[in-house]
Amino acid sequence: MKVALAQTAPILQDVKKNFIRHLELIEKAKSSQADLIIFPELSLTGYTLKDLVPETAINPNKSELFAKLKLISKDISIVLGFVEEKERGNFFNAAAYLSKGKILHIHRKVFLPTYGMFEEAKFFSQGKSFSAFQTPFGKTGLLICYDFLNYGADYVLFSQGADIIIVLSAAPGRGMSQGQTYASSHMWELMGETISRFSTTFLIYCNRVGFEDGKSFAGGSFIYNPEGKQISRASYMDEDFLIKEIDLGELNQARKKLFYKRDNKPEVIWRSLDKVIKKNED
Amino acid sequence: MKINPAFVEKLLTKFIREELTKFHFEKAVLGLSGGLDSSVSAFLSSKAIGAKNVTAIIMPYGESFKKDVSHAEKVVEILGIKSEKINIKPMIDTYFSKYPTQDKIIKGNKMARERMSILFDFSSRKKAMVIGTSNKTELLLGYGTIYGDMASGINPLGDLYKTQVRELGKHLGVPEEILTKAPSAGFWPGQTDEKEIGIDYDKMDKMLYQMVDLRKQKKEIKSMGFSEKTIDRITEMIKNSEFKRKLPTIPKIAERTIGHDFLFPYDWGK
Repeated sequence: MKVALAQTAPILQDVKKNFIRHLELIEKAKSSQADLIIFPELSLTGYTLKDLVPETAINPNKSELFAKLKLISKDISIVLGFVEEKERGNFFNAAAYLSKGKILHIHRKVFLPTYGMFEEAKFFSQGKSFSAFQTPFGKTGLLICYDFLNYGADYVLFSQGADIIIVLSAAPGRGMSQGQTYASSHMWELMGETISRFSTTFLIYCNRVGFEDGKSFAGGSFIYNPEGKQISRASYMDEDFLIKEIDLGELNQARKKLFYKRDNKPEVIWRSLDKVIKKNED
Repeated sequence: MKINPAFVEKLLTKFIREELTKFHFEKAVLGLSGGLDSSVSAFLSSKAIGAKNVTAIIMPYGESFKKDVSHAEKVVEILGIKSEKINIKPMIDTYFSKYPTQDKIIKGNKMARERMSILFDFSSRKKAMVIGTSNKTELLLGYGTIYGDMASGINPLGDLYKTQVRELGKHLGVPEEILTKAPSAGFWPGQTDEKEIGIDYDKMDKMLYQMVDLRKQKKEIKSMGFSEKTIDRITEMIKNSEFKRKLPTIPKIAERTIGHDFLFPYDWGK
């Protein structure tokens, strides 16, 4: 299958303009015969929304934009980030997977970073689950940014038999490094390598770029194959558009050598966790 | 603490370009003293948006600081940016002839605010964004004039310590004599930052990095060989200058109040 990664710099709050940009890039992906295009976290709205959350929110079941996207998804599968108003006044940092004219899945960010420069839990409700779902290309799981850094979240998707884990991100760069990017970019790649190899899944990470209130989103979107090898990476810092052919046969190849999936014991992990949880409740 | 100057250059020129575009500016204006920080800001601005879009204003008080003025002129010449030389002596002297003082700090602050006033005037005349020149060391210590040299539209150097600015300056090609001369607020001839603060920048930046970036405790910093007296003094300077890094506090009355719970991004709609 052919995957397109749209490493964009959304305009903060301007859903209309961002939507037009989405349409342009979807066209571009289609003309390159891509099967799937992925946008970053909150790609329709921008990240540092604060009190703009309610006015940028969308209910996918009622939204005209989603009606259009559903139509387009008959030709190409689309993953994008948006603010979801699930019920009146209940807002989520969400990601949708659209394909074959339908919304296949909506993931609501569970781990909302709220420390230092981050304040997501002040403005968003917390998602409550991780679930992998069937797509035309295999079982897929969605994660949003900080979700991915919690290996429990990755483990749940792995245990559900995910073949592809897609991470939408709006990760600001931080920390000095001696390389051509921030120190934090290395952390994301480290996690990408680890999770892809030890879950024998494709790991597709789409980050954004651009500045918001002085924070620079560090780009560097990447794809790792099921053996933990980086097979593609976008530019650090600049807008970019990656098209990459991935061979789903590599899943079988990897799982012939690496038996983590076969040997996974979620019931043992579950019982052990259950004990931990009970012990922690005092 | 070590930076990769090539990466920082790319980041900061991109920042200047993007911020100007977002706020519909094509040009930039900055005060050029001939010191390290303003020279580095000039180099970055020129690289970011092109020499023809940058105006440096050189604002000496009379004939003092001739050497600094010549350094500033050298930067203008190297970069090929536009420049304007404005002697602030008449404005300053008029004011102090009516309200005389011998306090060098009061005089220096007044000069810094006169320069700010000229920069923002040129900002309107030329439709140019004022580029700041304050580094992280002086912002943390409050070693600057509030609403004076600390005022700007955007401040590209604000997360770089003085010694890191020097690294960046070396990489950008700032002339050697500017890189190596003793940093000075320029309040009076012979004033140097290091003499006034009582510790050299190398040490100060190392200490601030441990305190601020790594959040080390006092006793840990002491064990690195810094004296308790110095640590306490620097800590006090940081604490007592917090007001310089914030907008004035507003007492809360209504349900929704600026500075408390009226929470919008700076780059609103950009």
